[in-house]
Amino acid sequence: MTVVEARGVSRVFPMPAGPVVAVRDVSLRVDAGDYVALCGPSGCGKSTLLHLLGCVDGPTSGTLFFEEHDVATLGDRERSGIRLRRIGFVFQRFFLLPMLSAAENVALPLAEAGVPKPERDARTSELLRYVGLSARADHRPSQLSGGEMQRVAIARALANRPRLLLADEPTGELDQATGEQIAELLGRVNADGTALVIVTHDPAFARRAGRVLTMRDGTIAAEERHR
Amino acid sequence: MRAPPPRVSCPVLLSAVALWCTLALAPAAAPGDGHPGVLLSRQLADAQGLSAGDVVRFSTADSGAGAVAFTVIGIYEPTPDPMQINASKFEARLHLPDLLAMTASPDDLLAAETVDQINVALHDPAGAIEFARHITTRVPGVQARAASSSNRGSVFVVLEQFHLAIAIVTIFASTVFLLALSVMLVDERRETVGVLRLIGLTSRRVLAQVFTEGLLIAVSGSLFGLVLALASESLINRYFQWHYDTALIFVEVTPAVAVQCLLIAVPLGVLASVAASWTLLRRQVLFLARR
Repeated sequence: MTVVEARGVSRVFPMPAGPVVAVRDVSLRVDAGDYVALCGPSGCGKSTLLHLLGCVDGPTSGTLFFEEHDVATLGDRERSGIRLRRIGFVFQRFFLLPMLSAAENVALPLAEAGVPKPERDARTSELLRYVGLSARADHRPSQLSGGEMQRVAIARALANRPRLLLADEPTGELDQATGEQIAELLGRVNADGTALVIVTHDPAFARRAGRVLTMRDGTIAAEERHR
Repeated sequence: MRAPPPRVSCPVLLSAVALWCTLALAPAAAPGDGHPGVLLSRQLADAQGLSAGDVVRFSTADSGAGAVAFTVIGIYEPTPDPMQINASKFEARLHLPDLLAMTASPDDLLAAETVDQINVALHDPAGAIEFARHITTRVPGVQARAASSSNRGSVFVVLEQFHLAIAIVTIFASTVFLLALSVMLVDERRETVGVLRLIGLTSRRVLAQVFTEGLLIAVSGSLFGLVLALASESLINRYFQWHYDTALIFVEVTPAVAVQCLLIAVPLGVLASVAASWTLLRRQVLFLARR
């Protein structure tokens, strides 16, 4: 079943010096359980395409379908609902809320989705156990290492059991060993049934994906299948 | 400034007509009965170390010649008058016959019958204008006017308008300052708002959160301001009452003033925080989460 599909999408940013085409006429389909890696040089449009797939940004032209819904026809409430319940985000800089503990960060999307507290607490514990951070539940982000913060971010992204997990350079700020642990964890998430699209500069990390899409100048220049 | 009701420390009511004048104090005679009574202002009594029962001698001459002895039968607090805040408050109140006997010239047979000016205190000050009109029509040659109809009232109208203008400018400037401060504070939370939006909170949801926060802060700030004003009220009044030696009330935070402050401050506080947040929420989600 198709989770997200881009059909001939482009994204043009108006700039003072003239419009910049970040993504040019890209078509891409991500099915349930897929593991896709987006690679390519800096500025080739990887992150912009990821944001389009995540309903964070809208295409200038072309059509984007999320679970067969044309995203362009959806309002802020519906797009926010998709981001809350159907998509998880993991970023290079973690983006945890510093005033909340690890458990509270994980519980935030659950609370927003209206999950009752007992169920929320159980799910939060389950997720922290899943990412190996049960002992750090009450720690604030400032008390966690980079790898631990990224684990919390992954747990938060998985809170509402999303169909699609989008990760933008999730190992970019981590040392190699920690990065491999995160890559391992993301592989496990995908193996458990969540479609995964990652943006990475790390070839070794990209090789873990079933499909590696290499972008250049806003277009998908090459596609490589590993399994 | 508001003048409180006059307080007289002696229960003796001299007469409905009270005359006052500034007199030279002569050395007191030996205590004795039979002297006419006099009321002294609290300031005069304090300055001269006098109290009820003391005997004082008043003279209309600087040299003290022809001094007449009076027994102090009470000390009173002069009616505070904002228009005479710097005037000397050394006053004495005598019975009219005593005053006339002391001031009238022996060569002028009508002197004891002549009064230039009298102040009349009414039980109901609201009827002053009607009373003045009544006297003027009934007693030819007498000009009567209510104190409230004098130019004192117009001075205070101008003063109140001046205060209103200052208040408007202050509130406007505070609002601009508050808005600028809110924009800075909200911008500091840009990343947090971006994360919340990325997670899936709608703009409306974030705005509602900001509204609630703004409301709490505005209410807390307003209440803090009121408490500060109430605390300052006492200090300011005490200082100026001491400085001018008066019972005038210079600052008073009435319930109406408090409610007015809350009605202005709370909506402005909420408006500033919501307006500042709205400028942020109009931006794209990705911009919010980027640095």
